[in-house]
Amino acid sequence: MKIAVLVKQVPDHEALVLARGDGTLEIEDRWATNFFDEIAIEQALRLEAVQGGEVIALSAGAGRNTDALRRALAMGADGAILVSDPALAAADGLGTARALAACLRELGPDLVLCGRVALDDEMGLVGPAVAEILGWPHVAAVTALEVDGKAFRAVRLVEGGRESIEGQLPVLIAAAKGLAEPRVPKVMQVMKASRAAMRTRTLADLGVDPGSVAPLVRTRVFERPPARPPVRMMEGEPGDRVRELASILVSAAGGRR
Amino acid sequence: MDFRFSDEQEFFRSQVRDTVDRLVRPKVREIDEKDVFPRDLWDEMARLGYFGLRHEERWGGMGADTVTSMIFFEELARGSAGFFMSVTVQMLMGTYFIGRFGSDAMKERVLAPAIEGRKVTCICFTEDQSGSDLAGTRTSATRDGDSWILNGNKQWITNGPICDVATVMATTDPKAGLKGLSFFLVEDGMEGFRKGQVFHKLGTRGAPTGELVLDHVKVPADHHLGEETGKGLEYSTDILNHVRVMTGLAACSIAEEAMRDAAGFARGRVAFGSPIATYQLIREKFGRHYAKREAARTLLYRVAWMIDQGLECRREAMAAKWFATEACLESVDEATRIYAGNGFSMEYAPQRFFRDARFLLSGGGTHEVLLNFLGSQYLRG
Repeated sequence: MKIAVLVKQVPDHEALVLARGDGTLEIEDRWATNFFDEIAIEQALRLEAVQGGEVIALSAGAGRNTDALRRALAMGADGAILVSDPALAAADGLGTARALAACLRELGPDLVLCGRVALDDEMGLVGPAVAEILGWPHVAAVTALEVDGKAFRAVRLVEGGRESIEGQLPVLIAAAKGLAEPRVPKVMQVMKASRAAMRTRTLADLGVDPGSVAPLVRTRVFERPPARPPVRMMEGEPGDRVRELASILVSAAGGRR
Repeated sequence: MDFRFSDEQEFFRSQVRDTVDRLVRPKVREIDEKDVFPRDLWDEMARLGYFGLRHEERWGGMGADTVTSMIFFEELARGSAGFFMSVTVQMLMGTYFIGRFGSDAMKERVLAPAIEGRKVTCICFTEDQSGSDLAGTRTSATRDGDSWILNGNKQWITNGPICDVATVMATTDPKAGLKGLSFFLVEDGMEGFRKGQVFHKLGTRGAPTGELVLDHVKVPADHHLGEETGKGLEYSTDILNHVRVMTGLAACSIAEEAMRDAAGFARGRVAFGSPIATYQLIREKFGRHYAKREAARTLLYRVAWMIDQGLECRREAMAAKWFATEACLESVDEATRIYAGNGFSMEYAPQRFFRDARFLLSGGGTHEVLLNFLGSQYLRG
């Protein structure tokens, strides 16, 4: 079974992210592989361990994503492909999905795994968009996955219960927390991955018109959250403080008791 | 001149950082508060292969260069200082002389299991009357036919209370001073080898540290680690350079962790109507920390590079260790001041950085000894 995993590099959870006065974002130069994508990689490797085949990691962007691909290699992926093109620097989710879908058509996997959402923009768009472009079914936010021959069964957590979905490959599965606990790579694998050759495909290689990845969505401005109103401390005897607090809450609720 | 890390080194750093974030950092507080050696964490780091970073591939190592191993040490020091101590002793001093001078049989029996984490190692320099003054070493090694008889008492031995093997510095000729020192491998279970008092420490808690007693311990001739007796100090030069750079980078990491934490506090804490991060006297503390850490890291990685180039760098290593550690002590102190009253509370992090940083002072030579040596070298002739 050939499994492709879509991965994205996102700011590290400790990186400082600041909204500048001019409406753009300033992001500290610390990057990590998206948390949910690592779950997808882990699940792919577990399926491969049982069923054989290969796991190929894919990423699209203007260059930075190589470390996310190397992370996949360090975890045990058999290969990595970077769809790299200057036109992708400004691409939105749909543009990125078009580039990835073109690469997947060339690769011909039986199954595509991705994280349910990237922790930077939290759009959760690219995975489902790739499936739509390919004309494949997709299942989002999956917490359990079984594959048997050409059949699959996926479980997702829904409000108040579990939803079980069965179908036939090919399919795109978006991984949620709980699907698989990502392994920590061994240092030997890290060293090998740091030197591994990366396959690179440009949009021209894939026959994709750079105009087709131009963004349809434009971010106008990033704004800081509004400053919190000042904290007011009640003073006096505990009983008086409680009565005062209660009357403030009642008036904030429009006088309804 | 190129001061950039390579893409491979940057990637390696990001992966070590992730490993430390995921495995070590969630346990930092527990390790410090309980002061218990985190065996499960030890086994996990060994399983991932990190203990063999510096050793030959045939014994399960990676053969990494000095700069790469220093990147690992710098990132590891962002986690628990106690765990850092135990691991660095295992990776550097505890296995160095076995790797350099041990027979293949010894390496198979001791080094390979140490790289796998199954044997805990330690190095024994310090005694009750000597530390930086190695010429004062009293532990003796006396030839007895095909064996050596060791007598003495070693103190402040990190990993000592849990060690399976110890590399012990002893004198074969007390009158020869620094030219009488040699290293011997002592194994747990040898008659007369005993683990004594366990020390309670201000910082680096979780790294078991204590006394080892050698009472007529008979070791085979091949347990002498070195080509000639009396050359122990000469054999130590290289590893002491490593230890000093490693200690300096630990200082940079502890300082940075303390100040990053303090920065979060300073941005959120409001006094006189504004976050204290907006006040110049608070900003100055971060400015000084930033400048000194930049200077220290540049110096330390230059020394690491010099080691890889085979250049003589004893003085540079001493200077770098001193500078980085003093800068760290200043930063962890400032972090407690930024927290004001809360900096004195055991509930907040600054007290832990403040305590842990103190261990850097004596490791790799006290600052009095280092500066005295550097000054005397400067004034020579």
